[in-house]
Amino acid sequence: MNFDLTDEQVQLQDAVQRWVDKSYTFDHYRATVKHGGFDRDNYAQLADLGLCGLLVAQDHGGLGMGPVEAMLVMQALGAGLVLEPLTHTFITSSVLARFAPSDLQARWLPGVASGETLAVLAWQERSSRYRPEKCEAKAAPSQQIYALTATKNIVQAGDQADAFIVPALLDGALALFWVESAASGVQTRGYLTQNGSRAADVTLNQTQATLITRDGLAALELAIDVGLAAACAQGVGLMDKTLRLTADYLNTRKQFGVAIGTFQALRHRMADMKMQLELARSMSYYATLKLGAPAAERRVALARAKVQLGQSMRFVGQQSVQLHGGIGVTDEYIGSHYFKHLTQLELSFGDTLHHLGEVSNRMGETAGVFA
Amino acid sequence: MDLAFTPEEEQFRNEVRTWVCAHLPADIAHKVHHALRLTRDDQQRWAKILGAKGWLGFGWPTQFGGPGWSAIQKHLFEEECALAGAPRIVPFGPVMVAPVIMAFGTPEQQQRFLPGIASGEVWWSQGYSEPGSGSDLASVKCRAENFGDHYLVNGQKTWTTLGQYGEWIFCLVRTATDCKPQAGISFLLIDMKSPGVSVRPIVLLDGEPEVNEVFFDNVKVPVNNLIGEENKGWTYAKHLLSHERTNIADVNRSKRELERLKRIAKIEGVWDDLRFRDQIALLEVDVVALEMLVLRVLSAEKSGKNSLDIAGLLKIRGSEIQQRYAELMMLAAGPFALPLIHEAMDAGWQGDQVDGRVVGFPGDALHCAPLASSYFNLRKTTIYGGSNEVQRNIVAQTVLG
Repeated sequence: MNFDLTDEQVQLQDAVQRWVDKSYTFDHYRATVKHGGFDRDNYAQLADLGLCGLLVAQDHGGLGMGPVEAMLVMQALGAGLVLEPLTHTFITSSVLARFAPSDLQARWLPGVASGETLAVLAWQERSSRYRPEKCEAKAAPSQQIYALTATKNIVQAGDQADAFIVPALLDGALALFWVESAASGVQTRGYLTQNGSRAADVTLNQTQATLITRDGLAALELAIDVGLAAACAQGVGLMDKTLRLTADYLNTRKQFGVAIGTFQALRHRMADMKMQLELARSMSYYATLKLGAPAAERRVALARAKVQLGQSMRFVGQQSVQLHGGIGVTDEYIGSHYFKHLTQLELSFGDTLHHLGEVSNRMGETAGVFA
Repeated sequence: MDLAFTPEEEQFRNEVRTWVCAHLPADIAHKVHHALRLTRDDQQRWAKILGAKGWLGFGWPTQFGGPGWSAIQKHLFEEECALAGAPRIVPFGPVMVAPVIMAFGTPEQQQRFLPGIASGEVWWSQGYSEPGSGSDLASVKCRAENFGDHYLVNGQKTWTTLGQYGEWIFCLVRTATDCKPQAGISFLLIDMKSPGVSVRPIVLLDGEPEVNEVFFDNVKVPVNNLIGEENKGWTYAKHLLSHERTNIADVNRSKRELERLKRIAKIEGVWDDLRFRDQIALLEVDVVALEMLVLRVLSAEKSGKNSLDIAGLLKIRGSEIQQRYAELMMLAAGPFALPLIHEAMDAGWQGDQVDGRVVGFPGDALHCAPLASSYFNLRKTTIYGGSNEVQRNIVAQTVLG
């Protein structure tokens, strides 16, 4: 049992941090939002850093690293308000490696690792909310190739992606497919989302698709759990920075002739925010270190983690705005963007109440990190 | 990063588990698992069993006869004890005063006091708080005048937990007044059988005399009962408080009590009420998060780093969780938490004689008898050991400077 990082892991995090500080400034972030919330060049830079191939095996041109490295990267990207959906690259890498036949892995993973292929998970539907088992998309077999008909909503960078990982019903059971965005029958409608990142509705009409796995529910659950772990890490990065911004502000801003950080009511609020951050960090570690556990254990762990993160992100975000006073509710101030990112993350891959229900349904007689 | 304990640590855990399982008296475990009243004898029996094994001073280094365990081993030991239903070790001797005697006492004092603490023979109490000195501990007034070979102690201590059983008490006493408050405090060991010491129980919300006032009226204390130097007691007290805080999260006990909450919720039928069960689920997340926080502190200690800036959070969170499980247990029992039958909290209570027949707890819900009492009792947790508001000041200091 230890939570120390290796020297290589520290170097990785430092490298990503340096890139964020240098290349993903607040101005650059704002320009990207203005540009539509996604910039292929930003994504290419992530690829240059090796991050798109972080979880891809070396045989397929990746770095072959694991969940801890992914967590460190997402922390740094979270703290830097990075909009490009590396989370989905991690999902794609993980799902293909675990569930796709080896010839398909060899066909797709090198492009994923190099950043040439951006493939995102397209799973949410109007009536599915956060439930992976709820799906109306349908797949019809026609020889080796399948034809998919589906409407998927709020697909991250959906009108910029090169491919989608799409759950659809095949013979009444959930299966997972690979769909290229250039295929016929694909229509997208892109839009900004609340944190300035880009998403799209994606409709498929008799669109050609390749089967990844018939074990669709298990694969989709893994996809969501990888997404959850990434979201937790991103949340920790965001909250860490939020606390620093808020502390700086309290120590600078003067009212009644003194720094407002001397007032006990505000100091205690900061202590409560610190509590929420550290509980969240602890549960982000937990989520990351449970990603490799058997599915049932993994699912409970990730749900528990998101319950903690959801509560922490909401508290830290809201209180940061409150402690900043007027400046906190302006668009021009960087802190307000952290609040929006935190809010968006709570609603990603299942919100707090959804996962509380998961924890509640799966509760056993014992509980604890090892139970 | 790795969540799993090493094979050696797991083996250590198994050894402890096997031993505790074989040596913890069943009647005591029964009381702990059902929150029934523990007597002085129950506490002493378990303390002496541990003492005979050399584990009562489980945090002690080998040079003082302790097992010399690592932080993780100590954690595993406490976890196995808690889950098996062992009473919490009464900390005042082995956990609080002993480390001070080891660090600052003379070899003669170590010889004289440590064996009785290690064996569980001598019951120690803590004399810190006074009616006018709670959070502001440095303002203690209990006076000790130096008469060459002895001090004359006059004053009062309060909130002395289980002081009614105490044989010795370690006290912060005022030995100088013409200086900063912290610079005039000394650390004195006092035999509670000395003439002039009197103890008055204070009945708490739950009807139990768990704490006491201790009065000192011209009590003669030999000067060789002074620990370290005169007027340096504040330093020693801070050393002690750091020992008090590390295990104050009490996450192991909270895990055990969460299991009990689930059992109670099932018996009372609220397990199937999703509104209620979700509250248990929230607590389950809280407990896991606290355990992860504890493991992070342990991991930092293991790698010799300072225990981050999160140790101060443990007390706040741990105490809030203790209050929450007690609250949910009481709420689970609903109206059957309300009957106040003190005897029903004693093991083996069969019921009251009413009109020549034996009548049990209302609704035969005997397990509900201690729930409200526990709820009332545990309101203390956010107050003692440095109130949670004081703790927040400390945490805020780490964030804001």
